[in-house]
This record gives sequence, C-alpha cells and structure tokens, in this order.
Amino acid sequence: MREPVADTLEISSAAKEEQYVHAVYNEIATHFSDTRFKPWPVIERYLLALPTGSLGADIGCGNGKYLGVRTGDIFMMGTDRSSSLVEICRSRNHECLISDGLDLPYRNGCFDFAISIAVIHHFSTKERRMDAVRELLRIVRTGGTVLVFVWALEQKGRRKFDENTQDVLVPWAKPNGDVYQRYYHLFRDGELSSLFSEIGGCEIEEAGYDRDNWFVIARKL
Amino acid sequence: MRLLTHNMLKCHVKNCTDPDKQYPLRFKDVQIEQIEYEPNEEFLVRMLPRIDWSALVKTAKDLNIGIPGSMPEDPASDQDFLQKLHTIIMETHITEGSMVCDGCSHEYKITKGIANMLLAEHEI
Repeated sequence: MREPVADTLEISSAAKEEQYVHAVYNEIATHFSDTRFKPWPVIERYLLALPTGSLGADIGCGNGKYLGVRTGDIFMMGTDRSSSLVEICRSRNHECLISDGLDLPYRNGCFDFAISIAVIHHFSTKERRMDAVRELLRIVRTGGTVLVFVWALEQKGRRKFDENTQDVLVPWAKPNGDVYQRYYHLFRDGELSSLFSEIGGCEIEEAGYDRDNWFVIARKL
Repeated sequence: MRLLTHNMLKCHVKNCTDPDKQYPLRFKDVQIEQIEYEPNEEFLVRMLPRIDWSALVKTAKDLNIGIPGSMPEDPASDQDFLQKLHTIIMETHITEGSMVCDGCSHEYKITKGIANMLLAEHEI
C-alpha cells in the first residue's frame, strides 16, 4: 500500500498543478470516473432543494456526477480543467466545457448557484485557493449560493494523514499497477470558512464535515 | 454546446475588458445540430431574467435562426414564444467551429460539442 508523502517540490505553483493535478487527471480519467458514481448526501440535498428554474455551474465537475442529479426543471453547466473528464461528461449528454477554475469564462452574476466539489484542495497556494473561491462568488448573483467541498486533514476514513503536514502528494494506483501522484492541500477545521470570511461579500449559511471533507454553503451578499 | 451556455460566456483574456466587445462571443464556421429536449415552461419563464436578451437575439440572427426581436409582454402565457425560446436555448447545439471575441480577436475552439475556454499563459 502506497502512502501519501509530504510535498517538498521546489517548483512554481502553476507547474505543480499542471504536473501533479491536470496531467494526472487526464491520465486517470476513465478509472477515476469508474470510481465516482454515487452523489454525496449533503450535495444531493442541496441540489434537490433548489427552486425550479435555477441555473447553476459545477466548477471542476469531473465525470459530471452532479450534473445529472436533477434535470428538467433546473439546468447546470459543468467545467473542468481536464479535457478527458469533459469528454466523459459529453458522452453522458451533460453540458460541459474546458476551463480553469482560477479564471472562469462566465459573465458576472449569471448563475443562481455554483458548486465546486473536491477541487479547491488542488490549488497549491492560499492566494490561488482564495482566487478560486472569489471566482465562484463572482459568477453567482447577489442572493445566490456557493457550495464547496474540500478534503479534510482530520480524515477518519481509510486515508490517514500526518496532522502537521497539510501539503501532500497522494498516490492514485490504476488497475494496471501504474501509480500517479496528485497534489492536495488538506484543509484544517475552520480553514475553508476562514477563506470565505477573508474574501467577504458573503455569509456562511452552513459549514460542516462530511465524507472526509469540510464543506461550506455561502450566500452572496 | 447549447445557446443558453453561450449566453453566459464572455471573453476573459487579460486586458480585454470593453464590455461592448467581449460579449457576446461571435460564432465562426459553426456546425449546428438540433437535439430534442423535454420542454419545461416554468423553467423557461424563470430563465428569462438570467438571459441577456439582446445578446441572444444578435447571436440567433448571426446563425440565421428566427427569433422574436422583443420579448412578449406576458411571456409566461405565450406558448408559441416559449416553444421558440426552448428550441433556441435548449435544443440548438453548436458541435464544431469557434467563438471569436470582437475586442481582442481571441478564438475559442469548439470540438465535438465541447468549447475550450483555456487561455495561453500570457493571456491570463
């Protein structure tokens, strides 16, 4: 069993994310997608509670598992940085395009809601994580909501992390034995809420821990 | 890619900030496909405030798609209008081609129904 290791890479944040996030997801897309099919309960509940006619964005939508939770009376557009994952979304007839979460191609305030599930932990500096949250808040209208999930440092499931090491490389093993390292910033209790508070212009409606992740639902003011 | 999605997209190249030119993106050399989708009138009525109507009219005209020039006074009770709106924003897909910014000339490619909105490093 391969274990996560501390990130001691001395390369730029953009290069780190290119090599240890984007390139890896393109390589593991199919296997990753095959392991991601069941919506998490907090996210499903959030989507099912939205009013009819809501327009939403899923930033870092992966294989599109949340794009199909509720169709017909709301509409969601996905974006992902990985073209391989976007192709999987298209093959399932989801609306999806290739884009970078730090720099979204949408006009200001055009969505009623935005979700970003297990994505922002892949940005390798605090400033970049804040920029990613700022972009989510920028694209939703005043009164709209944003839901974010990120990996917790304090995970109690099958993955265990050293409580003093927040920046790690986590192995992904494909069935053929190939192993790829993905970069993660593991969030401490309260850290995600703090990002939203520091950015401002929003109020936190709900924050909590679920499935080895910290999550926040924030409303744009 | 649906025209509803296109209505939300703007050019995001750094220094390309003229609001009259960066939006809407202009389609170029496109292939269009109509794909049936179950209509939902309440959804369509609620989409109206989300849509930039003048951008939608401009884009539809560019693509030779018939569209009412102005919104009816009571769109919720105008079934003919809602059906047209549904066909345009939900059933019309751009499968190939590109979107061009009139401000900075950046061209965003669309391949197999997928728009690539990534920028080069110097454009971010």
